[in-house]
Amino acid sequence: MERRMNQVPLFSSAGELANMVITSNLIDVALAKIFELQRGQAALPCSVQPMVYDPTPNEPNRTIVVFAPSPDSTQYPLPQGGDLVPYPDFDFLCTKECPSVSINGAALELFESLKNHLSVLKTELIARDGQLIITGHSLGGSVASLFTLYLLDSMNKKSKCRPICITFGSPLIGDFGLQHSQWNSFFLHVVSNKDPVPGLFLTSSHSQTTAYKPFGTYLLCSELGCACYDDSDLILKLLTVISSEVAGGLLQVVDYGEILRNLKKRAICKGRWLAVERFADPFSAGIVMELETIGIDWTKHNIDIRRMEAEARSLAMKTKAFDAKKLNDIKKYMALLEWYKKRSKDAGKGYYDCFKNGEFKRDIRIGEFMGHLNAYWEDMVAQAERKPQKEGASFRTSWLFAGTTYRRMVEPLDIAVFYKDGKRDYIKKARSQHYKLLEQWYEEAAKPTTREELDSKKQKVSVLLTEDSCFWAHLEEAILSCKSLTNANSTPELRESSGNDLVKFGEYVMEQIENYAVSPEIFLKDSSFMKWWGEYKAYITSPSNPCSSRFIEFIDFMKTGRYGVYGRSEVAA
Amino acid sequence: MEETVENLIIGLNDGVISPAASLAMEAHNSPSKLFLVKKIRHLSVVVLAFRGSMLPNDWFGQRGHSPFGETKIDTGKFPSVRSLNDGGDAVVNGSFLWRFNDVLDKLSHAKELKKAIEKKRQVVFAGYSSGGPIAILATLYFLENQTFSPRCLTFGSPLVGDRIFSHALRREGWSDYFTHFVMKYDIIPRIMLSPSSTEHEQILNYFKSKLDRKNINPAPPSGFYLTVMGNASSVASYEACHLMGCRNPSLDIIKSFIELSPYRPSGTYVFCTGNGNLVVVKNPNAVLQILIHCAELGESDAAEVEKRSLDEHSAYPNELKDSLGGMKAVVYLDVDPANDLGLSPQAMLCLQAAEEFENRRSRNLENIRTDRNYKEKIEDQLEKQRKYKENAQISRLGYYDSFKLQKEDADFHANVSRLELAEIWDEIKEMLKEFELPDDFEKKPEFIKLGTIYRRLVEPLDIANFYRHSKDKETGAYVISRGARPKRYRFIQCWLEHHEKKLFGSRSESLFWADVEQLGIDIEKKGYLQEIKDRIHQLERNLIACIGDRSLDDDVLLENSTFVKWWRALPLEYKSQSDRIDNLIREKAAGV
Repeated sequence: MERRMNQVPLFSSAGELANMVITSNLIDVALAKIFELQRGQAALPCSVQPMVYDPTPNEPNRTIVVFAPSPDSTQYPLPQGGDLVPYPDFDFLCTKECPSVSINGAALELFESLKNHLSVLKTELIARDGQLIITGHSLGGSVASLFTLYLLDSMNKKSKCRPICITFGSPLIGDFGLQHSQWNSFFLHVVSNKDPVPGLFLTSSHSQTTAYKPFGTYLLCSELGCACYDDSDLILKLLTVISSEVAGGLLQVVDYGEILRNLKKRAICKGRWLAVERFADPFSAGIVMELETIGIDWTKHNIDIRRMEAEARSLAMKTKAFDAKKLNDIKKYMALLEWYKKRSKDAGKGYYDCFKNGEFKRDIRIGEFMGHLNAYWEDMVAQAERKPQKEGASFRTSWLFAGTTYRRMVEPLDIAVFYKDGKRDYIKKARSQHYKLLEQWYEEAAKPTTREELDSKKQKVSVLLTEDSCFWAHLEEAILSCKSLTNANSTPELRESSGNDLVKFGEYVMEQIENYAVSPEIFLKDSSFMKWWGEYKAYITSPSNPCSSRFIEFIDFMKTGRYGVYGRSEVAA
Repeated sequence: MEETVENLIIGLNDGVISPAASLAMEAHNSPSKLFLVKKIRHLSVVVLAFRGSMLPNDWFGQRGHSPFGETKIDTGKFPSVRSLNDGGDAVVNGSFLWRFNDVLDKLSHAKELKKAIEKKRQVVFAGYSSGGPIAILATLYFLENQTFSPRCLTFGSPLVGDRIFSHALRREGWSDYFTHFVMKYDIIPRIMLSPSSTEHEQILNYFKSKLDRKNINPAPPSGFYLTVMGNASSVASYEACHLMGCRNPSLDIIKSFIELSPYRPSGTYVFCTGNGNLVVVKNPNAVLQILIHCAELGESDAAEVEKRSLDEHSAYPNELKDSLGGMKAVVYLDVDPANDLGLSPQAMLCLQAAEEFENRRSRNLENIRTDRNYKEKIEDQLEKQRKYKENAQISRLGYYDSFKLQKEDADFHANVSRLELAEIWDEIKEMLKEFELPDDFEKKPEFIKLGTIYRRLVEPLDIANFYRHSKDKETGAYVISRGARPKRYRFIQCWLEHHEKKLFGSRSESLFWADVEQLGIDIEKKGYLQEIKDRIHQLERNLIACIGDRSLDDDVLLENSTFVKWWRALPLEYKSQSDRIDNLIREKAAGV
């Protein structure tokens, strides 16, 4: 308790958020349309029929799509139980943590049966401008959720439609999580503590039940009030408690209209007792009150309030001001490295070699800057990976350029550390996953270089970074190959394979040169590259295969000293 | 705490509030006059009370596209009532603003007012019900014009302005000039938190028919309380989510689907509890929460509360006579008003969150002042920049050009220092945008001064960096295009202009280099046009003025600077102040 005395007080806003939703007319609008549809189609045989309510003069910017189960399916909402069926069509939801997507069989069957219709509807709705409320009750809500996901995947930055999905008493849908996705915020699930349906699969004896994951915000309610949660573990726990406490597991139909009317009235009532004094620990006081309000006895169900507090505290740190600070920090470290690079160039060596040999006193700080930069970018990459594919892709386009500059600047330093310790084969054994992904994403996004771009690169190559961030790893391997080649103790086989590797390296370097993809700093007098050349040129062996023209070109380029004018724009022009 | 209410809250002499309340009621009942005047001679106070109106059109007439009838405030009349960062102008109720404009001319020429100002009497603008907004706007108008400092007393007034309105009042230090009395259940102070509706009309028509006295006892409407208070509660919960630091991203999505009233309380509120006690609250976030929570229903008194919500609107003179009768009342200042107001535990949490939010803002300010990573670091870095600038003069190049070349160690260190400074100011900028610093931060001389030094010294480096990397090709000119000029400079410039009461955009001396660079580029691209000529003339005038008032350092005139080289190459017929500027350059050369 004393520990918290010094800390800033925290609050839980689950109750206030729910109150804001209840007292607004957002869910009234959705529910009213569900009832309207149910009344109108009592006689229809189809179990879940979507209905589109177009904007009206009163609500010119609002389209509502309703999936309501017919009275029949309300009685037996989930004929097939809780089986999860793999559904590759929804693989766009895959993330690092969830490599494949499975959907509840009953919901999927309904969704599939409507898919042709929904596909047309989706295209039509995305083109609209304004609010789009997608809603449904029970199994209808499940299909509404699936349809919303389907729609979100097709939306892009230009789409003007703003969707929200509101479900009432819907069962869980699948095994994928959206905790790290923006998409999570488009779902609002209303669940009464008297409704057995939402937690249906959590208490049955089905083997797959543990795989279900809730996503979105859950508005849980009882007769006394309501609260909103978006932590999926907590929601899972609360749904389990609710479904275990619904008497006898009988599928009674819960009247959400009546529940809403009651909650609206509750929202402006004081409740049973009045405050007598301030709360010493407002966070736990708030949580306990919220849980009681939705009918959960937290002591009985072992809910860890301290864990919730720790999480809230770490979230509270992440403000926009904090982000702005971090971003500028990163810019600063990059500027520091750029200067280090410039200084090294002036010393005639290049920053790779300076750092590897620990030339300057300031090299110690360089390690520190690298650490900050690596931590930042590893986190950015991890964030992108936790999102569904499309969202991850659009998330990273905004920073891929900066990330590429970072990779080209910093990875050579990581390579230097690796080879300094006398190790071999960086690319296969030690290359960090975040570098691989940054490179992969860059290549996916890159367009073929045009003639003009190549010209402009030619002019600027002296200030550009070497494009292949693994260049120095290739060089280090070439140095080792050169040693094997020149070592009298090497076996003839080793010598031959080393010779071949060196030819390949020569071809690789020439290709980089032709594309102006390598920095002229590699040709600095004291660079490892020039040292390697110094040793290698005496031992150039004809390869077993006929010599490629590119290799011959490389040897010529080096021997005639043409590298001396590479990157000098005034000469090149 | 026992003190006289009147001294504590508004610094008015004893015995003003009750007479003001009575006069405000009387004005409300006098449809033939725009306002009534009463002198309280022995106190040297003059009260002007404005007439209200119960016509629904006078509340929500300017409905337009919004059911809340809001409109941007007229910044010609109210230049301070705006945000100094991205928040824009304050929003006020259009009908109230229109009615104020209607009164203003007569009010300005009222001889009673002129005389009161002449004799240096304390002027109090008062208003009951919808007379309140007129009193509020009139007070604000005269505070803006600095002719004199009136006080404002309202009784059962509806809300007038939005969050920016309240923020601007606190920033200018005017919040204490406004005191609003509100009965525990009075529906009118809450009514603007709900969109205009048939319920509104029922309520206003009821009061109107009471006022008209055509019907001595009109039947009170019923069933409105749930709607009006429900909508008001939605606003309070939305704000509570922010105060409580809600991190659920659904909040923003849901908010975009519902229409919440833009209006928020401002000034000091005095809640009349009905048991003779008054509760004084100055924190506007706490006021909003109390407005909603203290009027919540008990277990089974819905119909009774609904009736009280109408009756209490007429109860101010009596209630205040009772409360102030003994001259001493129990007064709470932002602490534990729960007992007297009968608040629920949830309401208590909201109040604690409002209080904590206020504390956090003060802590953030304290942090900036004392933590080594803020103000002290800014000063250190600025000192480095000053030295850099001084040393750069020696080469007759100036620090702008030296920085643009990035040749020496010193240039690089200046660049790191530039980034360090950007980091701190960007963080402050974000805090301001999120209201995470006290409302008067942008008004504090210490920060205006520090910011202005920073802007004049370091913005040229940002411009140099921008044109060094030819960023104009990607984003467009530094000065013109959105997103090119860092917002931190725009905001800081705004603070100074506001402080000096100058036109926005008039203190852009730190943009001199960007103008020079862009002119150079545009001449190369388009050649010499009339438009270019006009811009050159403008630049010349700016240069002479800014060198004159020392807001621009004369190192732009150094022999080898981009400016001087460009200037010398410029054909004579495009210059209008050739001699004067040549002279300045010569003087500078002689001085170095």
